[in-house]
Amino acid sequence: MPPQVKNLIKPLFSFRRGVIFLTLFWLGLFVLVPHVLVLVTSVLTPDPQHLAVWPVTLDSWARLFDPLYVEVFWHSLWLSAVTTVICLLLGYPFAWILAKLPGVWRGVLLFLMIVPFWTNSLIRTYAIKLILGNKGLVNTLLVGAGITDKPVELLYTPFAVIFGLVYVLLPFMVLPLVSSFDKLDRNLIEAAHDLGAGWWQRFRHIILPLTMPGVVAGCLIVFLPAMGMFYVADLLGGAKNLLLGNIIKNQFLVVRDWPFGAAFSVALIGIMAALMWLYFLANQRINRQGGLDDEGI
Amino acid sequence: MKISSLIVTLFLTASTVLYAGEKVVVYNWAEYIPEGALEAFTKETGIEVEYSTFDNNETMYSKLKLQKGKGYDIVVPSTYLVSKMRDEGLLHEIDHSKLKNLSNLSISLMNKEYDPGNKYSIPYLWGSTGIAVNSKEIDPASITAWADLWDPKWEGKLLLVDDVREAFHMALKKNGFSTNSTNPDEIKTAYEDLQKLMPNVRVFNADAPREPYLAGDVNLGMIWSGEAKMAQDENPDIKYIFPKEGAGFWIDSFAIPSGAENLENAHKFIDYMMSAEVAKQTVEELGYSTPNGEARDLVNEETRHNPVIFPPAEVIDKGEFQKDVGDAMQLYNEYWEKLKAGK
Repeated sequence: MPPQVKNLIKPLFSFRRGVIFLTLFWLGLFVLVPHVLVLVTSVLTPDPQHLAVWPVTLDSWARLFDPLYVEVFWHSLWLSAVTTVICLLLGYPFAWILAKLPGVWRGVLLFLMIVPFWTNSLIRTYAIKLILGNKGLVNTLLVGAGITDKPVELLYTPFAVIFGLVYVLLPFMVLPLVSSFDKLDRNLIEAAHDLGAGWWQRFRHIILPLTMPGVVAGCLIVFLPAMGMFYVADLLGGAKNLLLGNIIKNQFLVVRDWPFGAAFSVALIGIMAALMWLYFLANQRINRQGGLDDEGI
Repeated sequence: MKISSLIVTLFLTASTVLYAGEKVVVYNWAEYIPEGALEAFTKETGIEVEYSTFDNNETMYSKLKLQKGKGYDIVVPSTYLVSKMRDEGLLHEIDHSKLKNLSNLSISLMNKEYDPGNKYSIPYLWGSTGIAVNSKEIDPASITAWADLWDPKWEGKLLLVDDVREAFHMALKKNGFSTNSTNPDEIKTAYEDLQKLMPNVRVFNADAPREPYLAGDVNLGMIWSGEAKMAQDENPDIKYIFPKEGAGFWIDSFAIPSGAENLENAHKFIDYMMSAEVAKQTVEELGYSTPNGEARDLVNEETRHNPVIFPPAEVIDKGEFQKDVGDAMQLYNEYWEKLKAGK
């Protein structure tokens, strides 16, 4: 906890209250109310004419356990999990290197990572289609170099979906990690070094536990959106490797079974909330112990 | 401070002046209007076009339903949706007296049972759904029927258009049923047949089915006639086949949603698109067939004799036009979702 600076805040009391009120108002109107609406919709009776009607029923919730949707659910979870792991494996060393670099280079590299964000991710996803296609850049190189004699089928596969998701979401992994590495106290590493800890021991007992909040935050920010990015699955997976977001979108737009779509959304929100809660617990533990112990999380 | 606020005020005023003009909001299928037609319309009439696209009937219908017919001045539903939307009060009656080009349209595509007297819809384009083959990779003579797509050797190779009615068309026809079947048993049979087809599917596409063929990612599958013609313009190896069980035929029409705010402009837009010259450009560029008789006389020889665009009578006779299937549509949609979600 940072030290309280009450004296500074006091004169701004009314301002502070204003800000809090605005924030609460904003969250209430744009987060709470829509979510309550979704929750209510999920227990209504589906009706293609009027989207959702009374009476209250749990049918839509029961349908979530239809083996068909359970399978889609696991497939989507798997795609998102693989994406998260790859993002972490790429993002962690990247953030580490970034944190070690002198200021100017750091700025340049961070900037370069963020630049693609100025282009809409939908357009970038279309560009990936051109790269992964049978006559795309990758296959032209592979065939041209004689590595394969026939183009490898990359596009419209789970691989393409994961590739797209990693590409779009990588910065979300890197940014929290960079801030974690920034907070890392160099003296601790030096102390460990002086006390005879080797490279692996320093990483395992000092660096990893202290950057764990960044790891957890990064994983959450990657994992959750990865389940919802329906356009990546539509474009790169050929609308075959569905994410939860695709199911929800199609239930609302095509089948017009709003209660089922809503139940799916609420389930997804539930998973997010559970993960956030785990994050909160982990954070508390870190604060209590000044770092994660050997068991980690 | 003063100067900056002055600039802001000026800017705001200027932008209101610029954008306060007449407009029409058009919601059309993706890749379904010739290049430059919107700009030409604005130039001729001074009406700005706000244009957005959809890639399946269901999405367009859902949005209109949700907005209670508001938000758009022109939509382009397929036949079966015209009657459905009309019955649900989502469409505005079209004032024929404002359409001086109406007489250009040929009688054979007017006054169909989905919209007697064309009170709610004006046919824009029609076409067929058939099979595309890249003749460089696959012998086109070996593919003659929808049933050929079920061959296990095409595992993970096919493109299907992401359209529920057209996917079911294949399976219904294959089993000898009507494409407009409302019989739950027939629809179920078709569904079960499509389940067997799913392992062969590489990609569902609805915004531009020609692209995966041109990119070499697929060599066999479904395609719309116009997309096939556009693909052939770029790569003549792509062949279009009318399956022997019968191709699917459909008509897409202009309609005005009940909540349209620019009625006058909507009529002007429809009228503009019906002019012989614009309709001719539409056919030549998009490769779909036009109901516009005047335009058919204007098109170049090549287009007129292209069987993809203007199929021979016996092909049309063997195929079947889509009609409204009423409440069975919900059943179709549910099965379709299950097919796409299944592995």
